Amino acid sequence: MKMKPPITNWLRATCPILLAGLLLGADRPTVEVTIADTTGSRSVEKHTQASVVRDYLAAWHAMGQAMEQNQPELLDAFFVGVAKDKLAETVRAQQNLGIQSAYQEQSHHLQIVFYSPEGLSIQLLDDVEYDLVIGKHGKTLGTQHVRTRYVAVLTPTESKWKVRIFQGGS
Amino acid sequence: MKRGGYLLALVLAIATVGLVVVGTVWPNQSAAANPDAGARLASGSSSPQDAVNTLLQQIGRRDWSAAYSGLANKNDFSEAEFASDLTGNYGSLRTYALLDGFDVHPLRASTDEAQFRANLRWASVVGTFDDPRDLRVVRKGDHWQVAWPLMKEARVPPQVIPVNYLRWDVINRGPQDDWGTQDVEAPHVRIVAMHPVDRGGGVVILGELLNEDVVPAFVTVKAALLGANGATLATEDSFDKISHLLLPKQVSPFRIDFRNVRLSQVDSVHIQPSSSLVSASADPVIGIESQKLNPVPDASLTGELLNQSGQVVNVAHVIGTFYDGNGQIVWVADSYPSRALLPQTPVPFAIALPADVSSKVASYHVMTTSYRSGHAQ
Amino acid sequence: MKRWATALCGLLSLLAPYGLAQPSAWRFPPTVQAGTAFSVQTSGSGPATLYVVGTGDALQRSVQLGQSIAFSSEDLRNAGHYVALLVAGTETQSAQFDVVASTQPAGLSFIAKPSRLPVNQVNGLSGVVYVLDAFRNLLVQPQRVTFELSDPSGGTQSRVATTRNGVAWVKMNSATKAGSSQFRASSGDIRVQRAVLNVPGEPCTVKMNSHGAGQRIVLETDPLRDCNGNAVPDGTIVTFTEVYGGQQTTVDVPLKRGVARTELLARSRAVISVASGVVMGNEIRVTGGQ
Repeated sequence: MKMKPPITNWLRATCPILLAGLLLGADRPTVEVTIADTTGSRSVEKHTQASVVRDYLAAWHAMGQAMEQNQPELLDAFFVGVAKDKLAETVRAQQNLGIQSAYQEQSHHLQIVFYSPEGLSIQLLDDVEYDLVIGKHGKTLGTQHVRTRYVAVLTPTESKWKVRIFQGGS
Repeated sequence: MKRGGYLLALVLAIATVGLVVVGTVWPNQSAAANPDAGARLASGSSSPQDAVNTLLQQIGRRDWSAAYSGLANKNDFSEAEFASDLTGNYGSLRTYALLDGFDVHPLRASTDEAQFRANLRWASVVGTFDDPRDLRVVRKGDHWQVAWPLMKEARVPPQVIPVNYLRWDVINRGPQDDWGTQDVEAPHVRIVAMHPVDRGGGVVILGELLNEDVVPAFVTVKAALLGANGATLATEDSFDKISHLLLPKQVSPFRIDFRNVRLSQVDSVHIQPSSSLVSASADPVIGIESQKLNPVPDASLTGELLNQSGQVVNVAHVIGTFYDGNGQIVWVADSYPSRALLPQTPVPFAIALPADVSSKVASYHVMTTSYRSGHAQ
Repeated sequence: MKRWATALCGLLSLLAPYGLAQPSAWRFPPTVQAGTAFSVQTSGSGPATLYVVGTGDALQRSVQLGQSIAFSSEDLRNAGHYVALLVAGTETQSAQFDVVASTQPAGLSFIAKPSRLPVNQVNGLSGVVYVLDAFRNLLVQPQRVTFELSDPSGGTQSRVATTRNGVAWVKMNSATKAGSSQFRASSGDIRVQRAVLNVPGEPCTVKMNSHGAGQRIVLETDPLRDCNGNAVPDGTIVTFTEVYGGQQTTVDVPLKRGVARTELLARSRAVISVASGVVMGNEIRVTGGQ
């Protein structure tokens, strides 16, 4: 393989770190929320909407921290069931490989598409944009700007809504 | 630093000596109302009042032997009967209570005999309760002795009481998280009445909760007061002014007290009842007999509890709901009889009512919750 | 600021391989079905390391450039959006792709609520189904779900719903007869069943009878039934109230073997009433008594 000049290597290696640094001081991701026409037979009350959105965004933050620090226990507060199992598996896989991934959220466009009649689950579609910075043993391997749709199902617990299904690329 | 320490020690020593001198020269003259302050008066019964004070202080120290030996009528009962009259039996509320204080008022006196009304205040886990006794004091030579009005606890005659037990046991799903898999459904409960009132510088929420299900429910009610901008002013729960265990189709009143919030500040009230399934028994059945409203100055609802089962009920909780002429709830109050409910034996109770509420009451409903060691019903 | 920095970095990232390195092609399929084998052809030569990272999984593999990278059916099972990096020395190629759920339902999360409800409730019962594949991914493509509710008298209600974003739901009526119903949901070959208990409603009427027993009066209700003829269950509280001369006596008695029974002191000119929940019953006036 052909070697690239050192300046390019330096830029490529440091750019994501610089970006991460800039983002640290940057604003929180922009969030837009809409309620789709079909939300099941149950209307979403204002305070329910507010708490679901708050807990979902907090879950994203917790997921980002868990992936960046490779600490699966950080997921416990906001994820449950399948979502928690799968994310924890990913964190453990990263741990074993020495990989870290940083999810730098830029925007969420949330749609509440279903609220079950008995109030035990609420479904969101999230058109999300973020930068994914992948590193290994502290060295950045690459950064990708991602635009995708997540489908999430949240269920109520004693104190908050927890994410039970969390699936990207939908 | 070291010098400052010595100075402080010196100041403390001087202050201590000063206080000891003040306490010795001018002792506390109101000691009669404090059951622990009796040592100074224990030897003196040169007056009827002294005899009463001495006895009550000995009771406060739980010195049954000394108290019993000084009684004028000790030949009528044993020391054990005397002690159990005061401390109760069968794990009743009285068993766990301590004498918190007493008031003594003379009723009449002659050269050889005097009569006093003593009100003993006992402190228990659910608050204080009064134990009024009329005491006769008689002269024996040069000193006075109290004749103790023993309230003999009823004895239940040996018998067999047939009971068809009805009981609900609950097996829950367990800790594993298999979403969608059924668990036992929480009982369905419903608020059937709710009425906020402005009272004593605060807001009081009065209401009733119905268990409309076919299984027993452990219930609580939480309330949030919301201001005009939707902000939460305060949140509280019903705590002990509710029957937490509701059998199918049973209604419990509830009262939630908010201090330091005025009704004029409140735009809306958010009430949240919650229920969970509990193992429970449909017994014992307790009749509430001879319920009667008493007018001011001692505004109260009095009556008797009759345990219709064959089990001893250690502690009973009586809750009254009071309605005006339009059927609206005007007050919810409760009391705990200090004695255990023996089978088929009436035990009196009294629920105190505020004087202003008493004049509005047109009807009332009383319910009981009973606690047996290891059970609640 | 954030967008500006992103644009700058993006531009630099794009410039670096095109301007300064030999371009090499690798074609990653944009969509892969979970749990299926696939391969990706690389170009160039020499050793490289492949990283595949997403919220659903993290993989690392040593590869030889110029050869294809084979993914077995075991490798990517969790649906999600993935980023792939191919790092060879200082050169990095990247791709993004989606792993989607397989097309066959393999599991249903079926939430039937409530599991206990009074008889004759229109739309009182709800069934919600989330359709999952063999790897517990949500099948977001529309699926037909059949809901069936059999009642204790042998009848069956049936509804078909199509999933939207992986979820389908219905509302059903409870049975008119008390007893257990089976509530089933099925999609493809998968069938899940829940038990629903239809319980009697409020008593339709409460009627008590009395007879004297010395100084006491024995009160007993007729067997309590709801308006559909179902027996009200034992344990239901019936309240007897006796009002006399400005006083009253009340007893909360649980139904046992269908009836509530108690004894009260027979007081002269007392009026005795009976109620259960919000349903009032008849009154009895005591003519003799104490």
